[in-house]
Amino acid sequence: MSPELSKLLNALGLIAIGAVLTMAFIDQVWFGELPCPLCILQRAGLIAAGCGLMLNVVFGPKPSHYGITIIGAVASGAISMRQVLQHIVPGTGFYGPPVWGMHLYTWAFLFAVAIVIGSGLMLLADRQFSQMQSVSGRLKGIPLIALLLFLVLALANIFSTVALCGTGLCPDEPVDYELFHMND
Amino acid sequence: MMSVPFVLFACAIGAAWLRQRSVSIGFWLVGVVAMLVLFRVHVSEVLSIQL
Repeated sequence: MSPELSKLLNALGLIAIGAVLTMAFIDQVWFGELPCPLCILQRAGLIAAGCGLMLNVVFGPKPSHYGITIIGAVASGAISMRQVLQHIVPGTGFYGPPVWGMHLYTWAFLFAVAIVIGSGLMLLADRQFSQMQSVSGRLKGIPLIALLLFLVLALANIFSTVALCGTGLCPDEPVDYELFHMND
Repeated sequence: MMSVPFVLFACAIGAAWLRQRSVSIGFWLVGVVAMLVLFRVHVSEVLSIQL
């Protein structure tokens, strides 16, 4: 696999993470499903995983960047699994409505597993690491779009989290945006 | 406080944009630590999965 192809695949992976984060935002803004603290941390974990892909896009593919992606995905998956286990016993309730048969935290866990598997598969292609100098040029096209989307979503999550939780910790089951009710 | 990891990850993206790889990885690392600390703070009760 050439470094250019690797860079493109990493950019597409970054767009996939961006798509998942965008869907989470649509669920939050359009359908009014406010994210719980663990849901917010799962989003953070996905962004942590995306940072490795972003480094591959900007600086060219390196094994350490895939390591960053795997660590981020494992952290995100661990948080998701904690939430799955919290509701796994019948009668212990759930958080949010299911989407296509599974809750969002279950989807988040599966997505984190997919990121780990994808990174493992990418690490199998040794040739991408052989010509790293040639791909550190100016970003354009899909890699640029992916990076911009990722940056916008990270910034949007800052605003969303501050609006939802204010400056402290988030309530376990948020019912409204704290920032807009600070003087109540 | 919950937005701290996102701020740090946004800084990591900004540093990468400015071609500062080591700084970017540093921000990422601190962001992951902040995320795990917040996870620990939010998950204080023992998991009960007995049937």
